[in-house]
Amino acid sequence: MKTKLFFVFAAFCCAFLAYGTYQALVVAPTEETMGDVQRIFYVHVPAATVGFTLFFVNFIASLAYLWKRSPKADALAAASAEVGVVFCSVVLITGPIWARYAWGVWWSPWDMRLNTTLMLWLLYVSYLILRKSSTGSSTSVLASALAVFAFLDVPIVYMANRWFRTHHPAPMIGTPNLDHRMQNILFINMLAFLVFGSLIAWFRYELERTTQKINAAHVRRAATGGAAMLALPAMFLATPNHVNPTAYLWGGYLAAWGIYVGYLLFLMSKLAKLKKETAEL
Amino acid sequence: MNASITRLSWINVAKDLRLEWRSRDVFNSMMFFALVVVVVFSFAFERDDSRPVMGGLIWVAFLFSTTMALNQSWARELRNGVLDAYRVSPAPAEALFLGKVLGNFILILLLECLMAPLFVIFYNLSSVGPLWQLGVIALLGTWALVVNGTFFAAMSIRTRNRELMLPLLLLPISIPAVLTMVTATTQVLTGEGAPAVQMKFLAGYCVVFTTACFLLFETVLNAE
Repeated sequence: MKTKLFFVFAAFCCAFLAYGTYQALVVAPTEETMGDVQRIFYVHVPAATVGFTLFFVNFIASLAYLWKRSPKADALAAASAEVGVVFCSVVLITGPIWARYAWGVWWSPWDMRLNTTLMLWLLYVSYLILRKSSTGSSTSVLASALAVFAFLDVPIVYMANRWFRTHHPAPMIGTPNLDHRMQNILFINMLAFLVFGSLIAWFRYELERTTQKINAAHVRRAATGGAAMLALPAMFLATPNHVNPTAYLWGGYLAAWGIYVGYLLFLMSKLAKLKKETAEL
Repeated sequence: MNASITRLSWINVAKDLRLEWRSRDVFNSMMFFALVVVVVFSFAFERDDSRPVMGGLIWVAFLFSTTMALNQSWARELRNGVLDAYRVSPAPAEALFLGKVLGNFILILLLECLMAPLFVIFYNLSSVGPLWQLGVIALLGTWALVVNGTFFAAMSIRTRNRELMLPLLLLPISIPAVLTMVTATTQVLTGEGAPAVQMKFLAGYCVVFTTACFLLFETVLNAE
């Protein structure tokens, strides 16, 4: 039943994502000053939305764990943090590709918005490291306490735009500055990526539950895996003025989907390992 | 038996300081480490106008020495089984935490007071802006580092790779505070702009994270 529901959801998600991407790449109007590269917007912003949402889920699940000590809440916290890091990585990779064309630099070191997003990513990576390196049942408690601390930094990320100087544009949704066609397509993509994010998080959650069950059956550490590595094209060397914005657009899309697909493959290999382990029990 | 939190914390502070005074193992190594950092930096950077980079250098030196000191402060308690004793005692865990934080705070402030003249000597440093602002920034910044550091040191000694874990947890959490400390210090040293916003931000950061530490410390102490 659950598996069937999962595949129906996955099929719906694929169709929705394909529709959203088609809208973003073909239907959406080309931006006047930045040209095609602006279409990165439709993966960059939704990825940020999904990432921040998942970090929020992680915070709620951690609080729930601290209160009720239920292993389900812990599994949800672990799953949402890991998938959140993946989406946050997409934000941090597509952002510089876009910025290189729009601002002429990959990264602006004194920009608070960029720094705070990077900081969030670092925080949740440290959360994942803590989960891997603590032992036994103390893992969940320590990780939940850290999650509360990490989430206290999220309001700072949101307020940083207003408190400090930044290159990064202020949120434009709902303001007359954003073309309404662009806005609609952005919303379609946000929804599509939210569906995608919850699908992966659900998958990861089931994996975590299986791991918990296996660990409960016989205490043994789950296998660790390497993160998906990604090579960016040779546009690092090109000066932005001589480059077609479309090249940056493709760079952004390829990087984003490279991360998503790489992460899915990683989850698949984890699933295969867990299946093998369950069969041995 | 009705000892108040203040009294219990004070007993902890006095015990920590007495131990440190007799052995001086943390303080000496921390002081030496900070000295080496200052000397290495003085070789690595130009001295003509060091003011724009000094804010960063000073705080990086203090941050690293703080990390060293904090790891040791809990390691001692773990070796002697003090944590287990505390878990079974009726004294509130917050008293232990407050005592540790105050003890570390005093230690790090002492270190900063001893290091400040070294920065002045090695970099021929003088401040353009008012000095009292540097004092306020140092107090707030040190508190922010020490309160989070003490909490995360208690957390990281529970993991497999103890000493390695503290910087991994503490640095990301402290980035907003460190960024603000550095920009505020640089503003005072160069005399460009008043760091009022940064000071308020630091104060807010201290309040938020001190509260969170106190609320969660007992949970972390008893995690098993």
